[in-house]
Amino acid sequence: MTRYISKSVFLLIASVVLVCGIYPGALWLMGRIFFPFQASGSLLRGPNGKVIGSKLISQPFTKDEYFWPRPSAASYNAAASSSSAIAASNYALRARVATMLGPIVKYANGPKAGQLVAPDIEAWFQKDHYQGQPHIVAQWADGHNELAQAWVTADPTHAAYVQAWANAHSVLVKQWIQQNPGTPNPQPTDLAVPFFENFSKEHPGKFPSAVTATLPGGKTQTQIVPVSVGTDIQSTFFDMWRNDHPHVPLQKVPGDYVTTSASGLGPDITMENAEYQLSRVVAKWASDLKRNPATVRTEIQQILDQNAHAPLDRLAGEKLINVLEVNLALREKYGAPTS
Amino acid sequence: MFLQIWFLPFALLATATLIAIPLSGYMAWIMDGKYKPLPVLRWFEKRLNFGEQNWKQYTVSLLIFNALLFVYGFVVLSLQPWMPLNPRKLGMLAPTTIFNTVISFMTNTDLQHYSGDVSFSNFSQTFFCITMLFISAAVGLSALTAIIRALRSDKSVGNYFLDMWRVLVYMFVPAAFLYGLLFLQQGSPMTYKSDVQVATLEPGAMGTTPTGQPQLQTIVVGPVAAFESMKMLGTNGGGFFGMNSAHPYENPTAFSNFFDTLAMMMFPFALVLMYGRMLKKTRHAWVIFSVMMVLMLGTIVWSVHFDTQKPNPGLTAHPAKTYQVLDASAAGGKRAVNVPAVAALPVDQHLGNLEGKELRFGTSAGATFAAVTVDQTCGAVNAEHDSLNPIAALSPMVGMWLNCIYGGKGVGMINMLLFLIIGIFIAGQMVGRTPEYLGKKIDARVVKLAIIALLVHPLMILMPTGLFAGTSWGLKAESNPGAHGFSQILYQFSSASANNGSAFDGLGVDYGLNNNPSPAPTARQFDIAAGLVMLFSRYLPIIAPIAMAAFLGIKKTSPFGAGTLRDDTFTFGFLLIGTIVIIGALLFLPAAALGPVAEHFGPIPFGG
Repeated sequence: MTRYISKSVFLLIASVVLVCGIYPGALWLMGRIFFPFQASGSLLRGPNGKVIGSKLISQPFTKDEYFWPRPSAASYNAAASSSSAIAASNYALRARVATMLGPIVKYANGPKAGQLVAPDIEAWFQKDHYQGQPHIVAQWADGHNELAQAWVTADPTHAAYVQAWANAHSVLVKQWIQQNPGTPNPQPTDLAVPFFENFSKEHPGKFPSAVTATLPGGKTQTQIVPVSVGTDIQSTFFDMWRNDHPHVPLQKVPGDYVTTSASGLGPDITMENAEYQLSRVVAKWASDLKRNPATVRTEIQQILDQNAHAPLDRLAGEKLINVLEVNLALREKYGAPTS
Repeated sequence: MFLQIWFLPFALLATATLIAIPLSGYMAWIMDGKYKPLPVLRWFEKRLNFGEQNWKQYTVSLLIFNALLFVYGFVVLSLQPWMPLNPRKLGMLAPTTIFNTVISFMTNTDLQHYSGDVSFSNFSQTFFCITMLFISAAVGLSALTAIIRALRSDKSVGNYFLDMWRVLVYMFVPAAFLYGLLFLQQGSPMTYKSDVQVATLEPGAMGTTPTGQPQLQTIVVGPVAAFESMKMLGTNGGGFFGMNSAHPYENPTAFSNFFDTLAMMMFPFALVLMYGRMLKKTRHAWVIFSVMMVLMLGTIVWSVHFDTQKPNPGLTAHPAKTYQVLDASAAGGKRAVNVPAVAALPVDQHLGNLEGKELRFGTSAGATFAAVTVDQTCGAVNAEHDSLNPIAALSPMVGMWLNCIYGGKGVGMINMLLFLIIGIFIAGQMVGRTPEYLGKKIDARVVKLAIIALLVHPLMILMPTGLFAGTSWGLKAESNPGAHGFSQILYQFSSASANNGSAFDGLGVDYGLNNNPSPAPTARQFDIAAGLVMLFSRYLPIIAPIAMAAFLGIKKTSPFGAGTLRDDTFTFGFLLIGTIVIIGALLFLPAAALGPVAEHFGPIPFGG
């Protein structure tokens, strides 16, 4: 028995020296000598010579001058890679995608071909009827309790707004407590559904949204008020609008534009996605630089084509572009975005 | 499009088979000790080889060494806060997570109830993970070699310590070094720095710090190339980063992904042929190889067809449906639930389900990898399995339930041996002859051992799944509603018991560092339960087959006669597939019906 133990110890020590010392040490040395760029993380340098990111790691872009990466479940945090882990059957996936689509979707054909759907979503919302029933917001909160609650927790001002409503509607809150005896002291989140139901009746065709107003004296103040237009309505209620208009042909958005990558850090988008964004990018650079959009488009298209690569040389997949590399090329060619 | 989907899986299968043929010869040559070691290595081998062992001594050596490995792993992980290479000053993991993680890596499972990029220093990644990646893979391979020697009726089953050394030095280290170079060249970092801070190209796009400065992006790096190569070659599957082979540093390109996937397949493919070479039953080994290939093709085609060739059903149109739900209070015991029609969202899904997929690997790479990683009991993932199309996720689950499609280092072949013994036993019963394998009579004791080893797997999956799905332990951890929530728990224990290590990542099983103020509420329960499942499901199915092989080996070999069941024919392959499907798959049919199948039939979308 002691021999087994002593041999085990010897084997373990020898193995640790071999696989934790010699083996990675040799690889480390090879990396230093032959692959210094890769070994340190494929870091790219910007126009001022400073490191601006890794070629392999996605980073966020929000300006219209740049191509945007896929949405990231990790918030582009390269110290905590993460997927969304949302199942296909989970309504949260459809809700997230619909929220992204609402403000950007366009009609595919008919008299309004190429125009945004968003104004029609607002017009439909103001009429306040869904599937023939009145009160869209109340139906939304009833059908999707979790979304209603998520609205309350999304921002402290939202919770405060609901709390103010609860203070002003003590009768309704008491009724709710009677129906839910397990929660004698409801928090704003608990009251999300009765809040929206009541809101919908008091403000038909409106939704609570943050509005920034300029006060006399130049100060700005953001507060929640009932609104009947705006991005909140376009994104939150696009899914319901779509269910009321299921057969209206809409332009399709590339799949990778609205889905998250597995690591949250995938550096590529499809060429289709890039071309979908191209008009926006071209228009913005053209107006920034006061140049002819047609020539700018040719130049940017060229940058895309130069960067295009496909998995296993198109044997295993379609053309992709690396978002950071393309945006870096734009930055080097046109300078920093103005806004 | 057709080519872009199917080229990758078929190229992988063909390449792995072509590599397996010479590799199996090399492995048999090494394990039979026909090579001449270098003088320095001979010194080590002399120290380790203290003579031939019988099966009991070999098993005891294996267990003692693994016990030592457990102590080593526990100590190394606990010491993280005080060890070097930790500039991020990471603290200690929760004790239950250390327990789970040590067992997980030791048993070649690599189920990770933590994220490497968040919680591990480069010291832990190197001295805990890399050590375990090599050693745990060598344990399974040594065990298979001992079983082969027993079946050959050798005088002894070899020496455990010498076998381990041979596997490490002559197979794994050279292969890992070559693969490491390849990953390095493709873009995996190889540095002992822990992270890089970069100012993003669009300043402030990451948000702003409390002082109003643009937020920097922190990029975690480390000795990824050395880690990644052995993680895949050893079919370990535990990632350096939380998102494993989906992370761009672990798997930078489509080319690296091809070799990542191939690395999982090489050794398991070769082991089946090595079995044939060492037993001098090449045709028999090819029959087993073909059976595994048929099953593997089935799992790959299934997942690619339902995930890459079909859109994500969460975004498509669905007609109105009426479901009959059991309800004791309703008249007739049933109640009709009407689900209204759902309109399609305007999303172009010609590339299939892209949620949780990386684009750079190729169109079908995620679905292919999902099937390969379970068949090879690797458990690395390059896509989020939680977000696979519901019915496509059946493929990785079936792979784990059968657990004998090539399998990991040796263990898959050992499981196949069990199905083989049972299959021959059933065939013998049907024709009324004494069943024989390799000319040895299969008696009651052998069949009992085979059944014990086989039954561990379903028991270790279904019992804890039932326990967690029926109590708040599981319900509090589910992150998706309805049938998919059940699937998450089922997948967790299937993965633990199959020593696989992939997961439906949404399940709340991560405690995180010990000082984490808000861990997943039932992370401790999952840590301990999954830890115990991994332990039992690893060692019982290794020990029982060694004993079984030893009992078979000491029997007299009966001469080949007209009534002998031939083990190298098409009929035999068919018998084997039948046994696997009937015994292996039917055990899990009810669980499958409650999970992925129920989810597939809707309603979709569900909950929210």
